[in-house]
Amino acid sequence: MERKGLDFVVLNQGNAQLTELYRSQIGDWPKFFKMDTLSKAGFVASELLLKKLGERRCGSEEFIQSRAIVLFGSTASLCADRNYQETIQNKDNYYPSPALFVYTLPNIVTGEIAIRNHWRGESSFYVLEAPDAAQMAFHLACAFQDSVTESILAGWVDSRNNDDFQVFMTLIRKEDAADTDWLAGQLQLIINDLNK
Amino acid sequence: MEELILKLKQEIIEVLNLEDIKPEDIDNDAPLFGEGLGLDSIDALELIVLMEKNYGIKLQDPAKGKEIFKSISVMADYIQKNRTR
Repeated sequence: MERKGLDFVVLNQGNAQLTELYRSQIGDWPKFFKMDTLSKAGFVASELLLKKLGERRCGSEEFIQSRAIVLFGSTASLCADRNYQETIQNKDNYYPSPALFVYTLPNIVTGEIAIRNHWRGESSFYVLEAPDAAQMAFHLACAFQDSVTESILAGWVDSRNNDDFQVFMTLIRKEDAADTDWLAGQLQLIINDLNK
Repeated sequence: MEELILKLKQEIIEVLNLEDIKPEDIDNDAPLFGEGLGLDSIDALELIVLMEKNYGIKLQDPAKGKEIFKSISVMADYIQKNRTR
């Protein structure tokens, strides 16, 4: 029997698209407006994916410990770092912004998604030069080596500036990662879509 | 005072990215944290920065924020009495 391919969501337009999607498809998480572009992109893509998969909404006991989040990106939190830097650049106008500072780590996006869904499994953010299906499949397979992880929300989340981002989000089940070649092939198909 | 309250509301909406909230939606006497606007600890730090940047008020004891940020009215009153710009 042929194996079903991975479901995924790809977004790669401007920041306005994220706000529009939030308003039309999500709308019940005002913290969205406080997020940096990286977190907004990851958050919206994760919401759309979970909706597409028809998963029960936040707080589902089923996934509290067994759902991990593993994301990849190339510029990490560089965009938020730049925004924060602007608040401390000028000696005579030196007002470090706490709200910008909290996003100066790339793994904050994993936290935003975990908080929204009440997931308490493993979470990590890997910095890669470019989307690399084989390397991503390897890290995802490794993440299943513990005794609790049964599924991983995985994806590529990258934001070069406030209006430019690239994101895909997919859900990997333990059985998907058992065959890393198959998983890498699936991820490559998504990456091809991302680069269209 | 009314003018200061309106200005303060506009500044808070902008600095805390309270999208979809208009100045008239904020009750002058409603708590800013918890039930009211539902602000969090990072927002409290942003309010401290706002007071220093826009009104020249440097809070020596951040714990005082709990009292000062009780509501828009209380905050405006504190600013009016302590502002240096």
